[in-house]
Amino acid sequence: MQNITIHTIVNNELYIRTIPVNMTLLQFLREDLHLTGTKEGCDEGECGACTVLVDGHPMNSCLVLAAEMDGKHVLTVEGLAEDGRLHPLQEAFLEVGAVQCGYCTPGMLLSGIAMLNLYPHPTREQIRKEMEGNICRCTGYERIADAILLASERLAGETEAH
Amino acid sequence: MLPKFDLYMPTDLAEACRLKGEGAKVVAGGTDVFVNMHGGKDRSDKVVDVKNIPQLQGHSFSPENGLDLGALTTHRDIELWDVIKKHYRAMFEGCSRVGSVQIRTRGTLGGNICNGAPSADSIGPMMVHDAAVVVAGPANERIVPLKDFYLGLKQLDMKEDEILKRILIPAPKAHSGSFYIKYTRRNAMDLALLGVSAYVELDGDILKTVRIALTTAAPTPIRAEKTEALLIGKPASEALLTAAGKTVLTESHPRSSWRSSAEFRLALLEELTVQALQEAIAQAKEA
Repeated sequence: MQNITIHTIVNNELYIRTIPVNMTLLQFLREDLHLTGTKEGCDEGECGACTVLVDGHPMNSCLVLAAEMDGKHVLTVEGLAEDGRLHPLQEAFLEVGAVQCGYCTPGMLLSGIAMLNLYPHPTREQIRKEMEGNICRCTGYERIADAILLASERLAGETEAH
Repeated sequence: MLPKFDLYMPTDLAEACRLKGEGAKVVAGGTDVFVNMHGGKDRSDKVVDVKNIPQLQGHSFSPENGLDLGALTTHRDIELWDVIKKHYRAMFEGCSRVGSVQIRTRGTLGGNICNGAPSADSIGPMMVHDAAVVVAGPANERIVPLKDFYLGLKQLDMKEDEILKRILIPAPKAHSGSFYIKYTRRNAMDLALLGVSAYVELDGDILKTVRIALTTAAPTPIRAEKTEALLIGKPASEALLTAAGKTVLTESHPRSSWRSSAEFRLALLEELTVQALQEAIAQAKEA
């Protein structure tokens, strides 16, 4: 087959689309759904700028076919804010100044959220290891790690409050 | 932009074998195939995605039979599985250092084995754990020891219409330990400039069983059987391990590449063989 119809949920919204089978998930998000928050960097899985979560798992969307997304849940940076409020990790990025040029930020946020789901109380060393697939060419890594630590404290506080 | 191709997503293994026999490129995680396609190195006009085939899925462990891993088991599955860290330490060390979290989440063991790169981080560790692969054709299947699976650079003991189905790894033995050391220029997102895997079983102080595998030391991942023979049956003394580091040089053929000169790789081989053995012995003593 050269085209395929997929039913996929992106940021909690169902999309039914017929697409060419050689379309990457990255192209599908940006060019078909016009969700341009997800960035293209290297287009070969090295930089992590295109990271999104598929069923909760971080993937380089440049190396995933949109055709594989039938029945899957995709989360992009556009889906992080809820009811007009930024995700705690987005807030932390703003507060500590973890954003310089911003190109890596969407991928950093998604990788960071996947990591916090797996390790709610990460050490700095764990953050370095888990975030290894996301490159920041402004080299603002220290503040990105600071932001993740800050968000982890706040998210832990929220859980305790419930 | 990926080149144009026809995509097949069969759920039937025999159907996938037939498509591969007709020249379709097999893709699982796509972390090699799609990278090559993006770079223009792969222009396959047929692609068969094997992720929906049940016989390739799932992974389990039993203390009697060891690991039964579907070819689709990802590096991340291995990295996060407590059984691996406890009983198959070399595999943890290897699989947790492949690419990035994103790559490990997608990239499969079957793909790493069939891509057959001399630098593949999962293969040496699986070799020293005496892994075998189950290769399925349209009509029947056969089991091949992983150490015999590589015939030459990127050449596999696999017919056109065969697909790697599962990986079988024996149960851990008493007083056994393993380790893998990957040498890279930077800590993350780098290929092994050199890698050494070691597995030992101890009987008191005596090295009862030893298996060593070398990564990026030859056109394919290899076992260092001469070095193993030197070690087996002897007490694990410092002098013996030093001798092993020398012997390993006689059965490896690293090449010079932009990543490293052959001379540097040989120096690393000597040193890392000793270190990997020491670590594996330490693991075995704890076990």
